[in-house]
Amino acid sequence: MKGFKVQSYQNLLESVGSVKRENLFGFLGKVQDTFGYVPREVVCDLAARTGISEARIYGALTSYRDFKVEAEASG
Amino acid sequence: MKENKVLTQRVGKYKPLDLKAYQAMGGFKGLRRALSMTVESVIEEIRRSGLTGRGGAGFPTGLKWASAAQDKQGPKYFICNADEGELGTFKDKVLLDGDPWAVLEGMLIAACAIGAEQAYIYIKGEYDKTAELWEKLAGEAEKANLLGDGILGSGFSVNLQVVRGRGPYVAGEEFALISSLEACRAMSRLKPPYPTEKGLFGRPTVVNNVETIANVPMILANGIEKYLSLGVEGEPGTRLFSLSGDVKRPGVYELEMGAGTLEELINEFGQGTKNGRPVKAVQPGGGTSALLSRDSLGCRLTAKAISEAGSGIGTAGVIVYEEGKSAIDIVKGLMEFYGVESCGRCAPCRIGVVRMKEIVDNLSCGKGTAKGLTQLREIGKVCVATATCGMGQAFPLPVLSALELFGEDFEMAVQESSV
Repeated sequence: MKGFKVQSYQNLLESVGSVKRENLFGFLGKVQDTFGYVPREVVCDLAARTGISEARIYGALTSYRDFKVEAEASG
Repeated sequence: MKENKVLTQRVGKYKPLDLKAYQAMGGFKGLRRALSMTVESVIEEIRRSGLTGRGGAGFPTGLKWASAAQDKQGPKYFICNADEGELGTFKDKVLLDGDPWAVLEGMLIAACAIGAEQAYIYIKGEYDKTAELWEKLAGEAEKANLLGDGILGSGFSVNLQVVRGRGPYVAGEEFALISSLEACRAMSRLKPPYPTEKGLFGRPTVVNNVETIANVPMILANGIEKYLSLGVEGEPGTRLFSLSGDVKRPGVYELEMGAGTLEELINEFGQGTKNGRPVKAVQPGGGTSALLSRDSLGCRLTAKAISEAGSGIGTAGVIVYEEGKSAIDIVKGLMEFYGVESCGRCAPCRIGVVRMKEIVDNLSCGKGTAKGLTQLREIGKVCVATATCGMGQAFPLPVLSALELFGEDFEMAVQESSV
């Protein structure tokens, strides 16, 4: 069962060292693969870390078929 | 006609993560030699080898590198384009899974030659197992001092990021891929400036296809003469042909340039058409290449011969269609795919692809009109002439060529509609 956990997000952050614009796309992918979606909190946090606006990140995410911004309903 | 396994010689011969086995087969000879040469002479060797891009556009690799190498200040980037999205093309996967160290070696040579300290490999989203393999490979390479600071004791530093694509077809286009790595929407841009001048984060960037880059180690390890002895004048080396469609034995076959004809490829390697019917049409260079009719089957497998026949070698993804289906069915399948893949950056493609898909759909369900055929031609021509990127300029080609070669199929559909 996937789902957002702050602790796992922090572990993920540690595993890549730091998130900059150079590795943002790859990191968003890791978030997607770990939680099954990219939570709102993560977008806020990454915007603060990279200096790229939340709107830009959200806009990009929603243009990709394989990125989700909401958790999938559990059946 | 025989396969000549040069690029694929090691595929299946070692476990993908086994670096020692790769080295035992002569691996990293090319990189070691490159590190002992000046960057200018490495680029000059690649230029003289006549290596051209294998991702579709066929641009000379040496020129690309030379252009990016000119800028001596600030960061530069090297990207290996493994977002193999073109319809009917699956050759890069063979190298990525079967001989990944050779691809990495080529990437390292390229990154050092152009002066890029950050390299990326952008792997198609659907190739998730391949991406996992490459994550592990990057770890192994770091341990072996092939990545990181001062690779193999030289003055060059290269870091690698393995990135998975997230869906869009157009991300395989170099500028769309760059936008994607910038965490933006995967959209193409107007050229010039080219990526080698202003690419990733506004810095010089070289984007090379997997197969292109897999050629590099062997050119440097064995010398240009040996490489030039393969293939034909002006088109040295081998190509990986992805054969698919209505053939008995689809697959990836490595052939020397000009080693045979389309017909030989279909009959000898593909073992003929699926139902034994004659061939109706062939797309020799992936889903966006113009159709060739049966009359062109004698065409030799070189970029020159195929373009003279009226199509393009593109990604060398040969898609075969046998008799028994209408040309409308062929283009309908293609338009269903491209119809949803336009990035929306430029109007001709954004609007044109939807209109063309509509007209083709109408034709296929008995609602075609003569006016529709005229519009199909006109919209297609406008797209080819005015779209920003390779996708918009190329997706109408199969439709336009089908109208020309199989006009009677379309006329018949119109007549049946008006009854």
